[in-house]
Amino acid sequence: MKRIISLFTIKVITAFLLFSQILMAAGEADYPENYYDKVALFLIFVIIIGFLSLVYFESKIKVVKEKQPSVFWAKFKYYLTKSTPIEKEQEVLLADHNYDGIKELDNRIPPWFSGLFYATILFSIWYMLHYHVLGTGDLQEAEYAQEVRIAEIQRAELMRSGAMINEETVTLLTEPALLESGKQIFITNCAACHAADGGGLVGPNLTDDYWIHGGGIKNVFKVVKYGVVNKGMIAWQNQLNPKQMQEVSSYVLSLHGTTPANPKAPEGTIWKEE
Amino acid sequence: MELERFSYDNRIVRNFAFATLLWGMVGMIVGLLIALQLFIPELNFSIPFLTFGRIRPLHTNAVIFAFVGNAIFMGVYHSLPRLLKTPMFSKMLSNIHFWGWQLIIVAAAITLPLGITTSKEYAELEWPIDIAITLVWVAFGINMIGTIIKRRESHIYVAIWFYIATWVTVAVLHIVNSFEIPVTFLKSYSLYAGVQDALVQWWYGHNAVAFFLTTPYLGLMYYYLPKAANRPVYSYRLSILHFWTLIFLYIWAGPHHLLYSALPDWAQSLGTVFSVMLIAPSWGGMVNGLLTLRGAWDRVRQDPVLKFMVVAVTAYGMATFEGPTLSLKNVNAIAHFTDWIIAHVHVGALGWNGFLTFGILYWLVPKLWKTDLYSKKMANVHFWIGFLGIVFYALPMWFSGITQALMWKQFNEFGILQYPNFLETVLQIVPMYIIRAFGGSLYIIGFILMLYNLIKTMKQGSFINEEVSEAPPLHNFRDPFKKGTRHRWLEGKPIYFTILALVVILIGGIVEFVPTFLIKSNIPTIASVKPYTPLELQGRDIYIREACNSCHSQLVRPFRSETERYGEYSKAGEYVYDHPFLWGSKRSGPDLHRVGGKYPNSWHYLHMENPRQISPGSTMPPYPWLLVNDLNTTTTEAKINALRKIGVPYPDGFEKVANAELVKQADQIALDLQKNGIPAEPQKEIIALIAYLQRLGTDIKANKETVSK
Repeated sequence: MKRIISLFTIKVITAFLLFSQILMAAGEADYPENYYDKVALFLIFVIIIGFLSLVYFESKIKVVKEKQPSVFWAKFKYYLTKSTPIEKEQEVLLADHNYDGIKELDNRIPPWFSGLFYATILFSIWYMLHYHVLGTGDLQEAEYAQEVRIAEIQRAELMRSGAMINEETVTLLTEPALLESGKQIFITNCAACHAADGGGLVGPNLTDDYWIHGGGIKNVFKVVKYGVVNKGMIAWQNQLNPKQMQEVSSYVLSLHGTTPANPKAPEGTIWKEE
Repeated sequence: MELERFSYDNRIVRNFAFATLLWGMVGMIVGLLIALQLFIPELNFSIPFLTFGRIRPLHTNAVIFAFVGNAIFMGVYHSLPRLLKTPMFSKMLSNIHFWGWQLIIVAAAITLPLGITTSKEYAELEWPIDIAITLVWVAFGINMIGTIIKRRESHIYVAIWFYIATWVTVAVLHIVNSFEIPVTFLKSYSLYAGVQDALVQWWYGHNAVAFFLTTPYLGLMYYYLPKAANRPVYSYRLSILHFWTLIFLYIWAGPHHLLYSALPDWAQSLGTVFSVMLIAPSWGGMVNGLLTLRGAWDRVRQDPVLKFMVVAVTAYGMATFEGPTLSLKNVNAIAHFTDWIIAHVHVGALGWNGFLTFGILYWLVPKLWKTDLYSKKMANVHFWIGFLGIVFYALPMWFSGITQALMWKQFNEFGILQYPNFLETVLQIVPMYIIRAFGGSLYIIGFILMLYNLIKTMKQGSFINEEVSEAPPLHNFRDPFKKGTRHRWLEGKPIYFTILALVVILIGGIVEFVPTFLIKSNIPTIASVKPYTPLELQGRDIYIREACNSCHSQLVRPFRSETERYGEYSKAGEYVYDHPFLWGSKRSGPDLHRVGGKYPNSWHYLHMENPRQISPGSTMPPYPWLLVNDLNTTTTEAKINALRKIGVPYPDGFEKVANAELVKQADQIALDLQKNGIPAEPQKEIIALIAYLQRLGTDIKANKETVSK
């Protein structure tokens, strides 16, 4: 019995872990850098403690004193299980059932079991009615439309409050800290095609005077944001936020006039700031 | 009454036991390799045959059909004759079954690493092997039914009900899901397309779990658990109730693998509600097993056999509660495509199937070799190491699954994705992958301990080839209907029993299939969706060969977090020419349904050569051979012809000009690559794959948000 109890403990711990994770993650929008290493250590710790306690319980053989169970509890248990006690099991033993020595009892179906079964059936009927007959539940397309509607309202709100930078409002940044952050974004996302020093590989050289889609912060921001798909430039608007796009665009413009290691030949036309 | 003497064939049981041990070891080692590859991608050694996509199906097939399959047959060939007091019907059929099954496994172990696959999960084997499986399965069926008919026991025991249900259902599942049109000796296309293929596949896939990993094992539990505990089965009427409800309800639940997909809503809802209704029937088996141990719990503490069985049955109870939970829409929205599902199946596979198999082996081997177990202590150590292995496996996978799903869904204050780079969400869970591999290793160490222990046991005992027994012949019993219940009567009529079981399992499938196949409105057509060009078709077959669908889905679900990340959500009408469908079931990498036109050709070329030169830290394996191998275009004509036969509208005579079209398209892509400084040749496989990837999802793709000058 003890083993079952300790197994149960393990299950409770597991369930608790699962649940707490949902809660934690729901409340936390950002994950610190080393969050996962800590979690991993914590998991290992919990598992080892749980394991040791299990093994400990197993090795400790204790004489369990028969306690007189309360009448109420016994009645309640009987009501839930309708189980014939083990001393009386001869009464429910099926006499003509003997298969290679295996005998069968004919205990009643536990009422809790029937109750569970009926409950799931009722749930199923309700579920089908709710979604497919009464039409009171949102099916997936309606659910999606609702989600998009809410997001659009929120986005409009943001636009109004000016929190979002777009190609019309964007300005060139010059603060070294912001350019440094733009540089990091550039190295992670852009260097594969434009080379780490902006000299160009698959993509054009970003250090010379020539621009294919126009120079200046507004045009560069626009190309970064929407991409030029038929020429291979990816649209970044779903991957970088406007602030990041502003930083990386500003960094790109700061490369003007530098001398890259392997500059690609100029493409496009010479750009002059009006 | 005259007693008849006869003997049980123990050799076939021994052979299946050896096969169980051998394939179990192989399957688990391959599993460990792919678990390591998920955080050390170089472990494919740049060899195609060792790459994740190709050996992941090898792992699943090996553990399901080789390890568990042989264990089922071991148990059936041991328990069935004893429960019926008669030898197996035909020794020849037993041997055909054994050797046929092992040959199929060997064929799988050769073809899967070679990339010969239908891509349908747990049914990856190509059509000649499918036919071989059918034949061997029929041999098994004749042998089993034959044994039941010439029995010396008037009624069939509950274990045999489960064996019968297993046999008929697996036969139906295998045949219906394997309808495919052969193109060459080792290549075929599924007869079904897109949504319909997905429905049939997951009806199969789910019920492979139900009728290959569950019902036969319940049968084994009903024989070996009371035997090992020496206690009567708790409740006969509970057996009847949970048997029939289980097999009736299980068959409906397949669509829960396709929630929030392009499958019609009504079918998705059926999948959900039937999964929920499955809790009680599944728990019926667990309850009957655990309560059979009443009065034997003191021995559970001492006896490793019972210990393994108790944890197995408990794991079964946990997994069958978790399953219905995962079938609820709101839970599935988080869990689907993540490691949570991996945790779920491994609680079932390692706990229920693995531990029950171990318990049976520890009980059976000493019996067959007429001796005691070599070391009880070692078996106990195996138990604890194995148990720890399961915990170290399941916990981190639950954790990583939920974490990654929440990161996929997280929006920031600007209303755009917090983690737009998919890779970021993968790198976060790498520590969990490392712990999981550790858990898997523990489980394998336990398995090796068992191998040693069992071999030592065999060495110290002496094997009995034929076990002599005796029993009175079965005399005609009259009027059983009046003496017992109707069900008792049915237990004396195994053929009626089999037919009734067949009818019961057919209902769910028919109700779900017929409308999906016949009613047009279930799959609205889209005019702009066209068949693949010859080059794209060849590229798609490379995608299938490398099993890209092991890690990449092609199904954008209708969530804002997915449409922002990938593009418009997937519509049923987009898949009408997809033989087979390639929706995938796990996202170790991002969805690819809208990848067409997202990156330049050169990006794909460099990415395939080595993913880490484009995405530093990526866990995708490199595919350098695609850049070197020439595309085999000799099959183009046969492929076009085969697809036209099953309804893809290629014009007449197109197969004659198909290769010319192919070359034209390949030249264009090669030219574009060369312009970007990549010395690509048009006849290479990579060109076809790029053509396919660039086509994906573009038939209805809206380009409204891109600058096109």
